[in-house]
Amino acid sequence: MSDLINKLYEAVIEGEEDDALEIAKASIEAGLEPLKVIRGGIQAAMDLMGDQFENGEAFLPELMLAGDAATLAMEVLLAKIKEDGGEGADSGTVVIGVMAGDHHDIGKNLVRAILSANGFKVIDLGIDVGVRDFIETAKRENAKIIACSTLITTSLPYQKELIETLDAMKIREKYQVILGGGPVTPQWTNMIKADGYSNTASECVELCKQLVSRDLEGGAADPIIIGALNA
Amino acid sequence: MKQKPDLIEILRRSREGEYCSAHEWDVKRVPKAVKKMLKKYDLQNKLDKENPVNMDMELADKFYQAGFDLALELGMLNEARDRIVKIDEEELISTLHLAPAEVELGFGHDKRIMKSRTPSDPYPMLFGSSLGITMSEEAWPYITEGIARQPQVDILESGSLCSINGLEALPNDPSETLLCYEQGRKHVALRRQAGREGMPGIGNISAVTEFGQFCYGTRGNFYTTDLSLILYPSEMKINNQTMHKVVHTLAMGGMVFAGSPGMIGGMPGPPEGAVISSIAAALLQYAILFSTVGGGELYDIRYLSNVNREGLWALSVTHQALSRNTHLCTHGIANQVSGPGTKELLYETLVGVSVIAASGASFSTGPRSAGGKFNDYLSPLDCRWCAEVAHAASGMDLKDVNALVKEFLPEFEDNIKTPNIGKPVQEVWDLKNFKPLPEAEAVYNEVRSRAKAFGLPLDAI
Ligand code: B12
Repeated sequence: MSDLINKLYEAVIEGEEDDALEIAKASIEAGLEPLKVIRGGIQAAMDLMGDQFENGEAFLPELMLAGDAATLAMEVLLAKIKEDGGEGADSGTVVIGVMAGDHHDIGKNLVRAILSANGFKVIDLGIDVGVRDFIETAKRENAKIIACSTLITTSLPYQKELIETLDAMKIREKYQVILGGGPVTPQWTNMIKADGYSNTASECVELCKQLVSRDLEGGAADPIIIGALNA
Repeated sequence: MKQKPDLIEILRRSREGEYCSAHEWDVKRVPKAVKKMLKKYDLQNKLDKENPVNMDMELADKFYQAGFDLALELGMLNEARDRIVKIDEEELISTLHLAPAEVELGFGHDKRIMKSRTPSDPYPMLFGSSLGITMSEEAWPYITEGIARQPQVDILESGSLCSINGLEALPNDPSETLLCYEQGRKHVALRRQAGREGMPGIGNISAVTEFGQFCYGTRGNFYTTDLSLILYPSEMKINNQTMHKVVHTLAMGGMVFAGSPGMIGGMPGPPEGAVISSIAAALLQYAILFSTVGGGELYDIRYLSNVNREGLWALSVTHQALSRNTHLCTHGIANQVSGPGTKELLYETLVGVSVIAASGASFSTGPRSAGGKFNDYLSPLDCRWCAEVAHAASGMDLKDVNALVKEFLPEFEDNIKTPNIGKPVQEVWDLKNFKPLPEAEAVYNEVRSRAKAFGLPLDAI
């Protein structure tokens, strides 16, 4: 494998954002095929980080830093693919946040890290996010997916309100709304006509990939449910 | 010599302290400072999975020193303004000196004295039930009264409510304020109804924001002899919600019960890092959140629990460190994952609560049955079991607790990530007659007998 790909792999693992960006640019200048660089330098690094997290050898901050470095490098590589007329590698933008009132952010941080590690551009709105903020950001960032996290049952109705507001604004079809966190269930996801649910952060990658590839309008089909733990 | 800063000074620092974004704090400041302290005190890779209860007291003391140093190095981040609230060494020493070593909770013959303890201290660790497991409006009063009727349970917390007279309560909305006033009023009435009027309480578990907490200390509601629950985000972060709760509690002349789990696998990294983060948070909360009691919580984000080997070990070291080196009234939670009616839940309790009690915590709350995830998944019988174990294991030798853990861990260890969530309360407990249903009682009797046969002095108290 090319030296640059190895270097990018190292930079992502170390969470060195600036280095990752520079190496990604250098790989383009050196004429390397961007998809190959993504696979060998970014995807492989993030797979390793994911395994290390599971085994207790790496932790959330390393995962988040690596995710950030991966995002930056990915952006220039994807731009190059587009410039060359290619497509298929752009996973799209996800706006993520924790619903109003709720301050539980560890799960959201994990989802954010793992999604960015897998090629999604993730805009993180943090905790205690109002419905309006989700929608305004999704519009501004041209996001495909709005990811709502909550661990508090009383914050669940804000997920419903989000979908109702998108409906009222007549822009529901533009967004895939996905849900997660303790009290969220597949039944709830169905009931409020969201587009997807997954039980864990790693399953969320599969969820987002399926949603992007099925290429339907938001709210147009039954939600995709992955890994539910049922009572 | 400088003294503990007053509230005005803390509010000033939370506005004017050094700027730091939450992201910078989470992924850079905290992990870097934790790594630095682990290195400085030579505390890397100290976890001994074969012996989940630490028995090396010198090691525990070293963890304390590292946690103290970490508290001074980091302070807490005020997320509302991206400012760091720092506490210097003299202020922290004064704070710890001023913290109470003994706290009177409740009143009358149900009063309890919470004391600062040491490892294997025969003075019993107090137990409060339950955590914020959500409950239906129909079941909540019966479950709550059922818990209050367990004489072993020292403190009544109760579960979370999500609606009031059928109206969904939303956080940060007048419905939250109303719900919490009503819940507090009923909480007081149910203690009386159970014949334990002076039983200490913890409130208000349903207060997601400060609005729900405003009931504390008001007329006919949670008393100021109850604890005011003020949880703050890990690692070491405060915000307006938490500080509003603090200001209100102090204004009422009440007692702050603050806490926040050090996250194994999270920002402080390995179990060793989470231990020093949990210690630092425990110390700082007495200065910044004016804590009366609390501190010493831990959670493993990879297992969504802490009754795994890493979690148990971290709990043991944290409470040994805090109890040997301070006179704080600290608090530990065993985060179970199995649910009502299962023997796994009873074994998780046996192991987790024993470790916390024998390591020197002053009180514990629980259980987190079914991981705290399902509506009405909490039985008063499981609360009773928690309290029995808490009292019985308090004076146990750490070596014996380590042996107990090794004996009973295999009963659930392989299923922590895929737990048996058991049954809702209605299927394991006779709500209206306040007694367990036979099948659940048989499971309880079986586990209790095994624990007793192993040497847990269950009938000695
Ligand atoms: C840690 C914790 C806290 C910490 C939060 C620290 C922090 N920085 O986040 C503190 C101490 C501050 C806290 C406070 C409170 N808490 Co709390 N807390 C917890 C606890 C123990 C663990 C949560 C956690 O971090 N888990 C680890 C992460 C990794 O798991 P996770 O968030 O579930 O995320 C995973 C999945 O859900 C999924 N996921 C998450 N988000 C998303 C999003 C999408 C789109 C997808 C697809 C997937 C996904 O991926 C993640 C990884 O695989 C839970 C217990 C529990 N069973 O969850 C209670 C719990 C959530 N808390 C509870 C309560 C009641 C409170 C308080 C209201 C108590 C009080 N009165 O003060 C306050 C509320 C404060 C607030 N305004 O939010 C209750 C909620 C009950 C309910 N259903 O309403 C719980 C369930 C405890 C209980 N029942 O005993 N808490």
